[in-house]
Amino acid sequence: MLHGVGASRGIGIGKIVCIKEQSLDYSHVVSQGSEQEKKRLQEAVETFCEVTQKMADDIRERVGQKESEILSGQVMMLNDPFMLGQMQDMIHSGSCAEAALDSVCQMYIEMFSNVEDELMKQRATDIRDIRTRMLRLLLGVETVKISEVPKGTILAARDLTPSMTVGLKPENVSAILTEIGGKTSHSAILARALSIPAVLGIPGLLEQVQDEQTAVVDGEKGEVILSPDADTLYRYTKQQEEQLRQKATLSVYRDKPTVDADGTAYQLYANIGSVMEAQSALENGAEGIGLFRTEFLFMDRPAMPTEEEQYEAYRAVSHVMQGKEVIIRTLDVGGDKEIPYLKMKTEQNPFLGWRAIRYCLEETELFCIQLRALLRAGAEHRNIKIMLPMVTGVEEIRRTKELISQCKQELKERGVAYEDQIEVGVMIETPAAALTADLLAKEAAFFSIGTNDLTQYTMAVDRGNAKVENLYKTMHPAVLRSIRSVIHAAREAGIPVGMCGEAAADPALIPLLLSFGLNELSVNSASILRTRKIVSLWKHEEAEQVEQAAMALDTAQEVEAYMASVRRA
Amino acid sequence: MVSAKVTVINPMGLHMRPAQLFIKEVTPFGCDVTIRFNGKDINGKSIMNLMAACIKQGSEIEIQCSGENEQECLKAAVALVEAGLGE
Repeated sequence: MLHGVGASRGIGIGKIVCIKEQSLDYSHVVSQGSEQEKKRLQEAVETFCEVTQKMADDIRERVGQKESEILSGQVMMLNDPFMLGQMQDMIHSGSCAEAALDSVCQMYIEMFSNVEDELMKQRATDIRDIRTRMLRLLLGVETVKISEVPKGTILAARDLTPSMTVGLKPENVSAILTEIGGKTSHSAILARALSIPAVLGIPGLLEQVQDEQTAVVDGEKGEVILSPDADTLYRYTKQQEEQLRQKATLSVYRDKPTVDADGTAYQLYANIGSVMEAQSALENGAEGIGLFRTEFLFMDRPAMPTEEEQYEAYRAVSHVMQGKEVIIRTLDVGGDKEIPYLKMKTEQNPFLGWRAIRYCLEETELFCIQLRALLRAGAEHRNIKIMLPMVTGVEEIRRTKELISQCKQELKERGVAYEDQIEVGVMIETPAAALTADLLAKEAAFFSIGTNDLTQYTMAVDRGNAKVENLYKTMHPAVLRSIRSVIHAAREAGIPVGMCGEAAADPALIPLLLSFGLNELSVNSASILRTRKIVSLWKHEEAEQVEQAAMALDTAQEVEAYMASVRRA
Repeated sequence: MVSAKVTVINPMGLHMRPAQLFIKEVTPFGCDVTIRFNGKDINGKSIMNLMAACIKQGSEIEIQCSGENEQECLKAAVALVEAGLGE
């Protein structure tokens, strides 16, 4: 049995497929003569184009137009007669196909990397990809295409980065296992968003598993049973069936509105962190996106994402969710996440440091790129709203609005369409914001309560610190009072107030949130149906009684015990 | 050889998509196509060279066609650029 972090709940049963990194060293290859090498190159080019075009067609609907065009662009580039001619010249001079391919590609990678034009710089990445995949073809290195794994696959990799999982088909992946990572890594977030069981951080994983090996994965407990015997397999299959049955009973809620037992309506949205998750959110019955985390666009890459790239991502989600709101949070990173090109220094207290809106309001060039991309992306379906993270005062909202005006002017001059009436709201996640919510409500179009950080800052607790993490309690009277007063301030001012922190998905907390007067709950896709069901079980009067009782208690433990006792479903 | 000057009107200039369209348009005619820009001659059928030239919005380029069907090719190329290269 293997042990790791249970990062995404559920039982997964299937066959292991190992995702390994392969070496592209071709120093051992000797040219078999120019005619033979040209032939090898030509064959590899043909295979590459065939495979890539197929991939492009396949992902156009599922992932996005933009990703699809990048692939068909690669086909076009590799077919450039001039570039192929250069490779053939090198072969005539005695190089093997691999060396010719590599040298010519490196030359173009260098050339495009040094260009000033942002869009053109991106082409360097495409050529790098062409080089890698062509070398694999020429060297005969087998790679597993994650997008093509068969049904019932358990992916086992060292790590799964965003670029690796672009074409992943959730219906074919039974579970995800990785060597590194934990509850908050990309693989974890992705697995939860797609409701795929996952166990991460299994040391030496790839040495302990084999391709085709049957395994049972328990994403709740963080356990992996390899080559289970018949009894074990039977037991887990039954467990899996039970879980699927429960999921099915929830599916009746998919197309229902979110109403409490009195018929009062609420908005039930989804939190997402990538374009791909939007589809999943929709399928799970999300009525909108309450939090679109944009950090994924900035991570795992050597340079800033261009305005065009950002625009494509925001537009794609806007399109998938047309007719529904999409609340997009501006860049929320700090020194804790390693993003070298952002030039953030290591700080003593990164969570109290130069991050999020503070960073953006100083690095206005970067911020404006994101703002322009958002303005443009909102033009077509007019469903995008901007949300600012880590706000502590009205001046941050005002300054952002000034920058937005500036960006609108720039776009006007460029003759590009943009959403003129785009709304700007804020996350309430700092005590400063919570305590002056009434002042912020005058400038913000809406609030979304970020309970994760609000709890940390209010309780003065680092959630990642094992020694004190037991003090992190959203049900502490201090946090609950903050949440309640924020909601009241919003309602006073007549602006919508939602919650996108983890607490929104806590079944025990729902009656309080309803009674406080929350308008919108935004939860991870897998929790939407359950949340809708629970909301439907509460009458307003009953929820009010819970509020009265809960808010009279002295300690977090007492509140937790009480809320657990009155919990429904 | 025939040639004509034309201005690129695309907001993002001659990036991948319009460059692809240009090449698709001129290749069937069979003649050589050269784009003269900023004093340099660029192979009009090479997407790598076209993109690397970073031809932005508002740039004036001279399209040169030489060989069979050069007149028809030039006509089609100019029309395409003036129409905004599909954008």
